[in-house]
Amino acid sequence: MKKQVISVILSAAMAAGMLAGSVVSVSAEATGKVYLLNFKPESDEAWQELAAAYTDETGVEVNVLTAAAGTYSDTLKSEMAKSEAPTIFNIGNTAAAQTWDEYTLDLADSELYSHLTDKSLSIVYNDKVAAVANCYECYGIIYNKTILSDYCTLDGAVVADPSEITSLDTLVAVAEDINSRIDEINDEFGYELTEAFASAGLDDGSSWRFSGHLANMPLYYEFKDDGADLVAGEPEIKGTYLDNYKKVWDMYVGTSAADPKTLNSGALNAEMELGMGEAVFYQNGDWEFAALTNPDNGYLVEAEDLDMMPIYFGVDDENEGLCVGTENYWAVNAKAPQEDIDATLEFLNWVITSDTGREAITDKMGLSAPFDTFTDDFASKNAFAASAAQLMADGKTSVAWSFNATPNVDTWRKDVVTALTAYTDGTGEWDAVVTAFVDGWAEQWKLAEEAAE
Amino acid sequence: MEKAIKKYWPLFVLPTFAAFVIGFIVPFAYGIFLSFCKFTTVVDWKWTGLENYTKIFFVNRKLDTTFLHSLWYTALFTVVTVVIINVVAFTIAMLLTKGIRGTNLFRTVFFLPNLIGGIVLSYIWLMIFNSVLQHFSKTIVSTEWYAFWGMVIVVSWQQIGYMMIIYIAGIQNIPGELIEAARIDGASPAQLLKSVTLPLLMPTITVCTFLSLTNGFKLFDQNLALTGGNPGRLSQLLALNIYDTMYGKTGWEGVGQAKAVIFFILVAVISIIQNRLTTSKEVQQ
Repeated sequence: MKKQVISVILSAAMAAGMLAGSVVSVSAEATGKVYLLNFKPESDEAWQELAAAYTDETGVEVNVLTAAAGTYSDTLKSEMAKSEAPTIFNIGNTAAAQTWDEYTLDLADSELYSHLTDKSLSIVYNDKVAAVANCYECYGIIYNKTILSDYCTLDGAVVADPSEITSLDTLVAVAEDINSRIDEINDEFGYELTEAFASAGLDDGSSWRFSGHLANMPLYYEFKDDGADLVAGEPEIKGTYLDNYKKVWDMYVGTSAADPKTLNSGALNAEMELGMGEAVFYQNGDWEFAALTNPDNGYLVEAEDLDMMPIYFGVDDENEGLCVGTENYWAVNAKAPQEDIDATLEFLNWVITSDTGREAITDKMGLSAPFDTFTDDFASKNAFAASAAQLMADGKTSVAWSFNATPNVDTWRKDVVTALTAYTDGTGEWDAVVTAFVDGWAEQWKLAEEAAE
Repeated sequence: MEKAIKKYWPLFVLPTFAAFVIGFIVPFAYGIFLSFCKFTTVVDWKWTGLENYTKIFFVNRKLDTTFLHSLWYTALFTVVTVVIINVVAFTIAMLLTKGIRGTNLFRTVFFLPNLIGGIVLSYIWLMIFNSVLQHFSKTIVSTEWYAFWGMVIVVSWQQIGYMMIIYIAGIQNIPGELIEAARIDGASPAQLLKSVTLPLLMPTITVCTFLSLTNGFKLFDQNLALTGGNPGRLSQLLALNIYDTMYGKTGWEGVGQAKAVIFFILVAVISIIQNRLTTSKEVQQ
């Protein structure tokens, strides 16, 4: 009796297994499928719509899954382990290309790559085009043009027009002057200004602006001096321009109303400070445009108040443009079945060539896409992106996103932020920042190399 | 009936056993296996032997103390929280079994914090701490000790109510005649506590210390939300340290896994010892 029962159960289990197996094989034999693991939570809805539109048009199944903010690498690791792994995934930099080297398909012959206007907006790793940028972004110092122009009309203002700020020294002088004349400016023009620079928060939600974006400046100029690849970097750095980094950082902290000892509290909101007209300057990127101008946020600034200037660094100020680059690259899963790969490449091509796809990228997601198909109606409407384009047209050199070369990004940045926090709240020395920056770089680079073996 | 159970027990055990194997045994064994491998996804591994384990302590041939630091930091944290939680929970439980007015209200209020999730709770406390510390130009992550006591306060606040309920149940289980007999024999309140209440409460104490001990070692949510391991990695408890290793460095998934295995062994050994110690003090009524 016992044996009978067990054998019945076992055969039932076997039958179920066969059934499941056959179902899977049937669906796989049909046409290829596309599975996009999306990086940007804010564009989830637009991608879902786009996927549905593509399925309606061609009958090809497109799944889009969006990882929650800050969990992309966790999600990617677990999704990739599944039998139906993502066919398109996001990699952010060369280090990620290294991690996912076995999974990235060479895109050199793809139509997607052929449409890319600036070939430097792709990641080349292990002799293959591992990933292609799907948008590019720029960052610099966002400033409130209206307040700054009003300041310029004051007696004894350092500059007569915002456009005269073309070097770090001038910027420092202006910021210090504004910060010391807050009451005068408020009385004169009726603002509620509290500081020149918005707070430089050192909590985990904001410190990347300095350990990533600002740290890019000394890295970029050093790579440039050494003739190294500007986004792939080099194993050891000397920290030649860290004095400039210190000068900029001191300006951020010194001309802000935030207490330098509590910058890591997480209670500061720099975006709000600029949005409410409490601050004139705010180092961040063009992705802030949507948030600053979104009426739901209730900010006082309007689109026409906003402009962006380069992070003047005291090295090559007259030729410096905004920092232009991206952390959003599409990679195609080389381990997916061939029919899925074909379907995926076709889908990506459709996204950047069809009207539906281009409209979704430009209007719904608000991105600036680096493909030759995005012209006229599909050009970006972001004012900061326009400033970047204007500066480029004026013959300025865009600063590359050299921080993409950072080895073991999270670890390295954390060490730099720790030292920077100690320096800023007075418990540590600047030398510790230099050590974390320079020695930490070499150490993490070595570890990352080792891990790649 | 009994005969039928004897005959068919494998059938009844099977579903739970299968779930236990799938949900626990297999991932556990696989996890141990992976700690000896280099891997990016769990199905894609390469055997590397003990390399992951040496990397825990030696990075670039230099001694790396982050893991050791979070080890003793966690141990200290656990000791402090176990003591505070159990002493306070027991005291409140004693007070709330004396039949004072509003006992039920008090019990409910003390238990409430336990119903809020760790992440939410920590964010709320983060605001409270920082708005107070702001007056002294400090934040909760100014030094590792601010972070330490911050976490102790949050975790104690959260768990005292829970342990209190267990203690109350234990205290109410003590037969009234035993206490009455002790009183008639002239026992003072202190003697009553030491010789009657505490020995009879040992099973409850075993449960409560076990729970607070393992909770202390495994703490993750509150650590992540309240301090995020800052300043630097100085306030990382073990679980967060493992998480940080796993996701913070390229190619270090295996090292994180190796740390997790050590972590498991440690928690298992300590809780077995604790269980032996307190169980041996339990008395028969």
